Amino acid sequence: MRIRSHMAMIFHLDKCIGCHTCTVACKNIWTDRKGAEYMYWNNVETKPGTGYPTRWEDQNKYRGGWVLDPKKNRLRLRLQGKWGTLGNIFYNPYLPTLDDYFEPWTYDYQNLFDAPEGDDQPTARAVSMITGKYMDTIEAGPNWDDDLSGSQVYANNDPNLDNATEEERRQMEEIDRTVFFYLPRICNHCLNPGCVAACPAGAIYKRGEDGIVLVNQDRCRAWRMCISGCPYKKTYFNWATGKAEKCILCYPRLESGQPPACFHSCVGRIRYVGLLLYDADRIEQAATAPDGALVQAQRDVIQDPHDPAVIAAAKASGIPDAKIDAAQHSPVYQFVKAWNLALPLHPEFRTLPMLFYVPPLGPVLAKMDRGVYDIVDAASGGLAPMMSALEKSRVPLRYMASLLSAGNEHVIRDVYHKLMAVRVYMRAKKVKDVPAAEVAKALAEGHTNAQEVEAIYRLTSLPTFEERFVVPAMERETAVEDLFPALDPIARNYPTRKGEVGFGFRNDPHRGL
Amino acid sequence: MTTSAMLCRERTRRFAGAVLAAAAGLWAALPPVADAAGTEAATGQRIFQEKCAACHTIGKGDLVGPDLKGVTAQRPRDWLERWIAAPDEMLAKRDPVATALLHRFRDVPMPNLHLDAAEVAAVLAYLATSTTGTPAAAAGAPAVVAAGDPENGKKLFVGSARFRNGGPPCMACHSAGGIGALGGGQLGPDLTNVVQRFGGASALSVFVGSSPTPTMNAIWLRAPLTPGERADVVAFLAQAPVSERPVQAIWHLAGLSALGLAILLGISGWIWRRRLRDGVRRPMIAGQRSARG
Repeated sequence: MRIRSHMAMIFHLDKCIGCHTCTVACKNIWTDRKGAEYMYWNNVETKPGTGYPTRWEDQNKYRGGWVLDPKKNRLRLRLQGKWGTLGNIFYNPYLPTLDDYFEPWTYDYQNLFDAPEGDDQPTARAVSMITGKYMDTIEAGPNWDDDLSGSQVYANNDPNLDNATEEERRQMEEIDRTVFFYLPRICNHCLNPGCVAACPAGAIYKRGEDGIVLVNQDRCRAWRMCISGCPYKKTYFNWATGKAEKCILCYPRLESGQPPACFHSCVGRIRYVGLLLYDADRIEQAATAPDGALVQAQRDVIQDPHDPAVIAAAKASGIPDAKIDAAQHSPVYQFVKAWNLALPLHPEFRTLPMLFYVPPLGPVLAKMDRGVYDIVDAASGGLAPMMSALEKSRVPLRYMASLLSAGNEHVIRDVYHKLMAVRVYMRAKKVKDVPAAEVAKALAEGHTNAQEVEAIYRLTSLPTFEERFVVPAMERETAVEDLFPALDPIARNYPTRKGEVGFGFRNDPHRGL
Repeated sequence: MTTSAMLCRERTRRFAGAVLAAAAGLWAALPPVADAAGTEAATGQRIFQEKCAACHTIGKGDLVGPDLKGVTAQRPRDWLERWIAAPDEMLAKRDPVATALLHRFRDVPMPNLHLDAAEVAAVLAYLATSTTGTPAAAAGAPAVVAAGDPENGKKLFVGSARFRNGGPPCMACHSAGGIGALGGGQLGPDLTNVVQRFGGASALSVFVGSSPTPTMNAIWLRAPLTPGERADVVAFLAQAPVSERPVQAIWHLAGLSALGLAILLGISGWIWRRRLRDGVRRPMIAGQRSARG
């Protein structure tokens, strides 16, 4: 057992209102730069929809993530092997075009002030932020399909619907039954990242102490294989610096005890961040599990931070006590492992993403009834109507399974049963209009009990800031000392493993240490 | 033990034997009791045989470089010291005498032999002991070189035949006319016309035989050419059609490169012909529009 710690994340989709505050916070802090205009390290998509970049989930086109070689039971990159990398090194044919992201633009505001007197009102025309030329028609944006559910173009081309039956499609397009929910996305900081494996320059690395995946800007050689290698399309190429960039999980904020900016600014408080202890020896086993068992295999990688054996192993691999304590209070551990409520996005890409989603109950169970949109509730007869609504849900379970459990509907159904149990139990407790037998049935159906339901309710609806964001002292200094035990400012034997070769950025000489 | 290791050891042994024999010969040649000046001159003689005799004679006429008989009387000593120590620097500084000599000897510059001050002094001492007087004017051609086989010389030059002692083919470092459009290596000078520049096949043969330049020396001391090989290579270099490197060769090369580039571009253009049309969003929207009619 090799225990490591990982900053992992939960997005509770039922609480997301699609306000894009997270996106704005991230954009203003990190990608408001030349060459990064088109990047959204954090974006919020409407599902069903095609997302950003267009149809990013379609790996036949983008070749992201891993595939399992059934004969050898080994993983290989869907993108290419070593020879393919060599052959395509100067031209990677599997990249999204800028048009698949969008061409970033601003407006010619100055014209509003400077326009000469004329017959018409002056306007601020759109100007491309890349070419500087006027754009007469804007055809796409980073969130072009926002709320466009039921759209023949966008919702219909969602790759998760590729396996949907004709009936399911028709059902989702019906007036008054069209449905959508939001899917906020950042880098998943995967346990088995495709971007790291695809990089020919070895510029991308995963920090052992917190699992954050970073691009070494000095070492990046702009081959852009990471962009294809990442199945979530969460690495980007900065066309001004000629380097790849990606979400850094706001590690400067984490290291000073704050949650990442998108987490901090989240209006719906859907986001949770906390430490997980995982067993690095099990990663390969989990990544090569059969499709149906992927979710459970990933849960098995995560270890119980209260288990004395795990604690001992964690101490043996140098994890400080503060981090073990944080792992014991981690909301992520509760949702992912203790309650089995949160699921990884597209586990079939086999990168073992460490960002987990609690699937939304609303789009599955809510409906319009006499002009009121509400979840089919225990009030109208207890659990039975909810169960039947689940089976006839407007978003087919097959769709949710394609998104969150590699097509395994049992996993999704279990999660929904537990979420419904929480609903029924709390209804009975607060409104007192559900018979006790119904409550007991719901708890049994959800494989849960009153105590657990109370805890889920508490952490879902009433968590404090400190409960949502459990950020321990990151103790970077110990990580650096572990990596470079002989580090000595007098001898100036600074770390040279990362970014010491090649052209890189020019660093001006500077004084002092 | 591998064959190459054995060969290597064998060579080392042979080389060590040769050095020992030379040392013994030198010892025998030295007078048993010699005064300081005599010793210095003897050292100078040895250095002269090793490093100068490829291009210079004393009293036997000009080879690649001038006959050095009486040179110590002809030129001031400090000029000689500077010249022998660093001829390349003096040529770079455009020393008038040195430049004149360079032109007189067909623009073949004297290489820097990296002699230190003591060695220069020794060479000068040796030159001073040789008979003073004016050099013998046009003192007959040196020993006539055996006629070589230019065909075999070409094979040796380009490496399709091996040198018996295992030296690398000339083409590894040198280019010359008559070996194809791609030419040879760029480390050493282009050898087209080298026979004219060195003033005849025999002079060249002597030069190749003792190779005084540091780079040549490093290789050929260990793997010397046999006299037959030397004659063949020189014969190849002296061959009439080789003396001019054909201008078409350059055009040949340019044509080949352009053709190769065009083929490569054609192949890559064909393989990736859909690269810019193959975005995702545009075809998706276009497909939807056409589906709606």
